Amino acid sequence: MKFSVTKEKLLEALQQVQNVVSTRTTLPILSNVLLQANETELHLTTTDLDVGVRGTCEAHVDKAGATTLPARRVFNIIRELPSSEIQIDVDGKNAASIRSGQSFFKILGLPEDEFPPLPKFEGAKVVTMRQKNLRDGLRKTSYAISTDETRYVLNGVLFSFKDNKITLVATDGRRLAMAEIELEFPRSHESDLIVPTKAVTELQRLLTDDGDVKVSMSNGQIAFDLNKTLLVSKLIEGNYPNYKQVIPAEAKERVKLEREMFLNSLRRVSLLASDKSHSVKLNFSKNNLDITANTPEVGEAKESLAIAYKGREFSIAFNPEFLMAPLRALTEDEVFLDLIDEMSPGVVKIQTPFLYVIMPMRISS
Amino acid sequence: MDKKCAQLWQRLSAALKPEISADSFKRWFSNVELVDAKDKSITLTVPNNIYQLWIESNYMPALQSAIIATFGSTRSVRFCAPSAAGTQTSADDSTTIKQTLPTQMDARPATTVPGLNPRNTFESFVVGPNNEIAHAASLAVAQAPARTYNPLFIYGGVGLGKTHLMQAIGQYVWAKRRNVKVIYVSSELFINEFIDAIQHSNLVKFRKRYRQADVLLIDDIQFLGGKERSQEEFFHTFNTLFDGHKQIVLSSDRPASEIANLEHRLVSRFEWGLTAELQPPDIETRHAILRKKADTMQIKLHEDVFQFLATRIRTNVRRLEGALMRVASFASLSGRELTKETVEHLLKDILQEEGRQSITIEQIQRRVAEHFDVRLADMTSKRRPASIAFPRQVAMYLARELTKASLNEIGDAFGGRDHGTVLHACKLVKKRIAEQDNIRQTISYIDSSLQR
Repeated sequence: MKFSVTKEKLLEALQQVQNVVSTRTTLPILSNVLLQANETELHLTTTDLDVGVRGTCEAHVDKAGATTLPARRVFNIIRELPSSEIQIDVDGKNAASIRSGQSFFKILGLPEDEFPPLPKFEGAKVVTMRQKNLRDGLRKTSYAISTDETRYVLNGVLFSFKDNKITLVATDGRRLAMAEIELEFPRSHESDLIVPTKAVTELQRLLTDDGDVKVSMSNGQIAFDLNKTLLVSKLIEGNYPNYKQVIPAEAKERVKLEREMFLNSLRRVSLLASDKSHSVKLNFSKNNLDITANTPEVGEAKESLAIAYKGREFSIAFNPEFLMAPLRALTEDEVFLDLIDEMSPGVVKIQTPFLYVIMPMRISS
Repeated sequence: MDKKCAQLWQRLSAALKPEISADSFKRWFSNVELVDAKDKSITLTVPNNIYQLWIESNYMPALQSAIIATFGSTRSVRFCAPSAAGTQTSADDSTTIKQTLPTQMDARPATTVPGLNPRNTFESFVVGPNNEIAHAASLAVAQAPARTYNPLFIYGGVGLGKTHLMQAIGQYVWAKRRNVKVIYVSSELFINEFIDAIQHSNLVKFRKRYRQADVLLIDDIQFLGGKERSQEEFFHTFNTLFDGHKQIVLSSDRPASEIANLEHRLVSRFEWGLTAELQPPDIETRHAILRKKADTMQIKLHEDVFQFLATRIRTNVRRLEGALMRVASFASLSGRELTKETVEHLLKDILQEEGRQSITIEQIQRRVAEHFDVRLADMTSKRRPASIAFPRQVAMYLARELTKASLNEIGDAFGGRDHGTVLHACKLVKKRIAEQDNIRQTISYIDSSLQR
């Protein structure tokens, strides 16, 4: 195999795939990247057996072929190369010679047939959607994924295909984020899938604002085809909890808030939220919202926001991180906070189908 | 759901309602039923797993305080699917909607934590004055890991129940909450795994295994002595767990400060929490142990045999149990009535071994003289400067404690003193032991060096 390629293109392609590279030492081949050169293109593939990514980069191929090379090492070398033009020549023993300007590297690889192939998706159910929609949906939900490994069904985002929309859900038991993507698909495609955290993270890195993504689902696997890149992942087996149970039926009070102003105030006040209880208090009174936090023996903070509010006066406490997370992820100027009373969950909403349920913390008197 | 449970649930609900909002109660608890109430746990049926998730994440404090109001003390809460209700209300794990571990971590067998002997529980542990502190501390740790005594350091001689207590902690914690990660290893296994990890450059996995434990039990920690890199690794593991408020329990055959070649930073950490000593059981406890053991082995022996064994085998519970086993199997195999002579014959070697450990007054004098750097002759001489008189009194005290000699015999052995002098010496030393820590330490050190 022999090809030449520009540094920028190769680096970009390596960046897309190298995060997946396994740190497990049990299978050395998994720390390698599979390089496959056909007439005009170079394909790069990495996998940790759970998640696999395949990227493409334009190349001038002199001789087609395939090999695998240690991914991190190759990435580090390419990044440091002095010239923009890179030639890579791989001999029959999988030793790669990398030439660029005055530099020469020889890297020993492993044969390509040892590399585990990505699963095939023949006869899979396929839907196509705008990349932007999926990216938005994941951005609005993925921060609420549980990191508690003992609750493994929660270590991912639920993709619920139903009634011509995809509902994305993530929860960790104390909060729940849900977003919807409108999409037409046949009835037979209705199903619930849980995409693991790692795949979601990688997917978010790969998705762009333009173009379509083709989603293929078949037993236990899901593939996201972004035209030039492909991400394949195992699904989490198990039943996702019935998230609808969590969503409060109706709100007593609805408060409209300037997202960014609210977020900034929360961020400042939370500097004085104690490490132990870690809560900020929202005190609602007529046309005013006071955000307060205090830590005994350290001090306290308070910010006032002018809001349109005519309901009864009351206070509710939240974990500031949990409250700020959706505010950071959203882009809308205004958000709504729906509340019932101090002990019931609050709901963050926007004009489009999205909601975020957050459990209050106990107010210590 | 039987009537009693229904009533209990009503009382529990009444106590719970004021703790949470009406809407939350209606949403999360109106479909819940109580199907089983035991001394330590209650079982609730929930319609599906979101109930368990949300109740566990958000309403446990409220539920526990309602439980305390209803039952008077805390209970662990189990959840199960409604299909399991009625037909199977007991603690059957297959029916609980447990958020099972990820498959690759699911190596844990359903019955117990690896390495734990199911027989070693708190129920099978015989408590006596020799071990009640260690037992109480262990139970406290098992009931509330990482709350009270962290680390718990248990030490004591061979066969006095260190391993038993540790394993009891492990099983207790594990039985109460299955999703707690309990790790029990001997320090030897820890070292071997560490070496193995270095060899295969698998340290990350090794660290992950130990540093993600919720309860780490390490047996026979004294074997870490002299193993420098293992000590270092253990030091970091210890710190990670301690900072993460995870329970650590260690056992050793001697106090931490006496473990040879153990780094000071480790010694000081071991002494950080609670140190509990296990002492050889007194005769009543030995008797109780024998009876309990005989009960579990379902053997019947004459009272005299128990008495004989309890009197003659003093130092080691394991040996005590071995002797009982030997006597019992002889009785069942031969079918003959056991007499004192047959028992004595049967246990000849064990009794000899025990006998060899009996200490003579001369040994005591020699050891004490050596320790205080006085001449052996001073033990029997008439000279009475404090530098000689006190060691002599210590030796008399030890002779009184460790041998069967009468006051007169002791007096004779110390240069023909009368029994009043010996009695005075014993009282004086006892008083000083009670008052002065360093003297207590000195004497217990000499004591243990004599017993070894």
